[in-house]
Amino acid sequence: MSTAEDSISHGNQTAKAFTLTSALWFAFATTFGMIAAGYLVAPDFMANIEYIQFGRMRPMHVNAVLFGFVTPGLLAAAFYYLPRLMKTRLYSEKLGVFSAVFWNLTVAAGMVGVSMGYSQGREYAELPWVVDILVVISFSLVIANFLLTIRRRTEPILYVSIWYAAAAVVLTACTYCLGNVIWKPDTGALAGIPDAILLWFYGHNVFGLLLSPMALGVAYYVLPIATRSPLYSHTLSLLGFWSLIVVYTHIGTHHLLQVPVPTWLKTISIVDSVAMVIPVMVFLINIWYTVKGKLGDVHADIGAKFVFTGTIYYFFVNIQGSMMALPDVQRITHYNNWVVAHAHIGVLGFAGVTALGGLYFILPRITGKPLHSTFLADLQYWLVLIGITGFGIVLTIVGLIQGQAWYNGETLYRTLPEIQPYYITRLSLGILIMTGAYIGLYNVIRSLYFNRGATS
Amino acid sequence: MRMTPAVILFGVLALLGSIALVMVYWPYAQQDTTPSEIFRARNAEEAAGRHIYLQNGCVYCHSQAIRPFDWDLGSERIAQAGDYVADEPIQLGSQRTGVDLSQEGGEHPDDWHHAHFINPRYTRPSSVMPPFEWLGTERIRALTRYVQSLGFLQADRRMERQDYWKQESITAYEAGPDANVRWLVEHVPEGWHRVPNPYPTTAAGLQRGQRIYQYFCIGCHGPVGDGMGPAQPWIYPPPLNFTILKGRAISGGILYHQIMNGITGTAMPYFKRDLESQKIWEVGDYVAYYFINQSDANQEPKGIDAAWEP
Ligand code: HEC
Ligand code: HEC
Ligand code: HEM
Repeated sequence: MSTAEDSISHGNQTAKAFTLTSALWFAFATTFGMIAAGYLVAPDFMANIEYIQFGRMRPMHVNAVLFGFVTPGLLAAAFYYLPRLMKTRLYSEKLGVFSAVFWNLTVAAGMVGVSMGYSQGREYAELPWVVDILVVISFSLVIANFLLTIRRRTEPILYVSIWYAAAAVVLTACTYCLGNVIWKPDTGALAGIPDAILLWFYGHNVFGLLLSPMALGVAYYVLPIATRSPLYSHTLSLLGFWSLIVVYTHIGTHHLLQVPVPTWLKTISIVDSVAMVIPVMVFLINIWYTVKGKLGDVHADIGAKFVFTGTIYYFFVNIQGSMMALPDVQRITHYNNWVVAHAHIGVLGFAGVTALGGLYFILPRITGKPLHSTFLADLQYWLVLIGITGFGIVLTIVGLIQGQAWYNGETLYRTLPEIQPYYITRLSLGILIMTGAYIGLYNVIRSLYFNRGATS
Repeated sequence: MRMTPAVILFGVLALLGSIALVMVYWPYAQQDTTPSEIFRARNAEEAAGRHIYLQNGCVYCHSQAIRPFDWDLGSERIAQAGDYVADEPIQLGSQRTGVDLSQEGGEHPDDWHHAHFINPRYTRPSSVMPPFEWLGTERIRALTRYVQSLGFLQADRRMERQDYWKQESITAYEAGPDANVRWLVEHVPEGWHRVPNPYPTTAAGLQRGQRIYQYFCIGCHGPVGDGMGPAQPWIYPPPLNFTILKGRAISGGILYHQIMNGITGTAMPYFKRDLESQKIWEVGDYVAYYFINQSDANQEPKGIDAAWEP
């Protein structure tokens, strides 16, 4: 089936809508990040502007990245591959487009809420209660479409990508309600230490049960197709899937190793953080063996290139994360920019880059025309790659400076002039990533709506 | 294993449910809600201040939990679960772009906080904390009440001390420069009065002293040491004008002690954590040499000359 026919027989409006959503929020989110990074370099530059000051910009940045850019990007790919893998059509494109519009309104409402000062003050669970409800509705709309599509499938066997996509949205709808303490609209929180335990159970599950499985679903779909190879091992897929669900849900407390939470809980989280190598390496072995000897094919498809790069970051973020969970290591790495480096490698390097790969892989297939510009996509690839690798290096250095200094008795105030040059470097690297995001947005809009390229 | 929709959905939900039960519900059900010995409830104004803290994301830069191996601000008290029983949501934080604030109450008097919130660079020249002048006086006051309550009963004790010495320092200041300087130095232990700065004044030392002055002191005492730094309008008694110290027998030792220990009650902070011995002597000599225009550096009694002296 040629891609042109494909795009006609499936309307693909939902995948298109989520593609646009993702590209748009990538641009917004990186802009927010730039503003936040700007404050750390020059706190008096945009002084006393209530709605954009650092303490509000940072949660806007994080939530826009998570729920505006990465998740919709991965959803776009899922809305594309689910019907195809099950030899059917999406249950309802109308519902899908509606869910994408609703999704955008939800994220926008969240941004406005946090910007206006309605944050609930819990990291990764800042969005005010009303928006929490909207988020749950957004997920429910997606879940309904997914499950009803699964019900009308004509292919009896469910491919591994489907497991991940279905599990991710269903589990996240649950942990989102739980983690945001949705039954307590006034504070959206528990009291005391249990609040921290719950928060990080949820917080890590945003990566563990939403971004990671969705990204793995995309990788499992894109890479075998791009290299025209069958998946290396079904057994490894099974092992990877179930171990991810089990292990990831145990590690949230590794954010709390240095505060008074029960020791048994810390022990479990450390052991399981190290055990994270199981789901990660199982996946990587499976996918890397699948593409073994065919890196030329990967390189030839810009989408696959992004996705494959994402798997490499997944490797690094896992090695790094497992090490950070060791108490002796965390004595140096906690509370400082080391963690910020890790978070960016994980969320942007792995999940975000994979989402971009998904977008570029499906774009020609849903429009029936080649990308507006492969050159621009490639340029974006390098801008993001240099930016995020630079972030990883620079922020790790800052983290080590801070961590070592504090551990050896330096005061924080004295380290501020020491880390200033690195904050400036970080800002500059951020410009690369942000530029990449705007180039991507332009390319996506051109590819979707103003593409004069011949239908292939 | 055959992955049907039912296996996937019920499988993952059953796993999530049982794991959440163990990892979240069990610690919740088993939690010890006994408040710790320093705990007390917050009053309405402190609660209002805490709300401002939540709204404005102070948590992204400030942790509220001291670890056993910390040295910096607040490190006299290691966090205990019972300190947090009333915190909904809890504000442990995951970043220390700024200092830990769990024991901030009473570290400084209120006027220091006011100046700091107006613009952190006024009191702390290398700070990267954003200014909060836009909050306006009312909300800055509420926020200050919250910050001054951090540490609960221990904070209250520190605040009593601040308030007592605030009154004393205002009385002294209002009695004129003579009385004020007498008051300032009479609380410096006698021994320090007789200790001159033991090291010689050198160009290099003054250079270093100047750098310390610019990173730590300039916002209050001002570029020329007359006490007219940008923090001045918010601070009372105002930052000391060093030039009035001339001819009042201010030894290097007195300067050292005041810088090291601060002057509780006034906005003058202690610098014993931030600056080590060499830096305190050198910034002291910088102040003496340039602003007081009278330095006792390297005068007798100074003991045996240190090995590095030129
Ligand atoms: C961009 C990060 C950032 C944000 C946001 C921030 N701070 Fe700070 N804060 C700092 C830094 C850095 C310091 C250390 C230098 C200084 O004293 O200004 C600091 C210091 C402080 C101190 C002084 C501690 C001491 O005794 O030396 C207080 C009090 C404080 N912050 C309160 C707050 C409050 C309240 C908020 C929210 C309204 C807030 N901060 C938001 C970075 C931040
Ligand atoms: C937040 C404002 C502030 C900062 C920062 C500050 N001071 Fe002060 N300083 C004061 C105030 C206020 C007084 C006491 C004024 C009074 O009571 O009349 C004072 C008093 C002093 C005294 C007392 C002199 C005496 O005769 O007892 C010395 C010495 C001094 N400061 C040196 C320094 C040095 C050196 C630094 C930097 C390392 C510094 N100060 C930073 C506000 C500040
Ligand atoms: C794969 C195995 C992983 C392990 C074992 C792991 C481990 C850790 C640890 C121990 C921390 C806390 C560090 C501290 O606060 O001192 C942490 C923080 C974090 N991790 Fe991971 N991580 C892993 C993967 C990932 C992935 C894949 C992502 C993103 C997709 C991610 C995103 C984050 C983020 C955003 C934080 C920062 C949270 C904060 O703001 O404090 N991690 N991780």
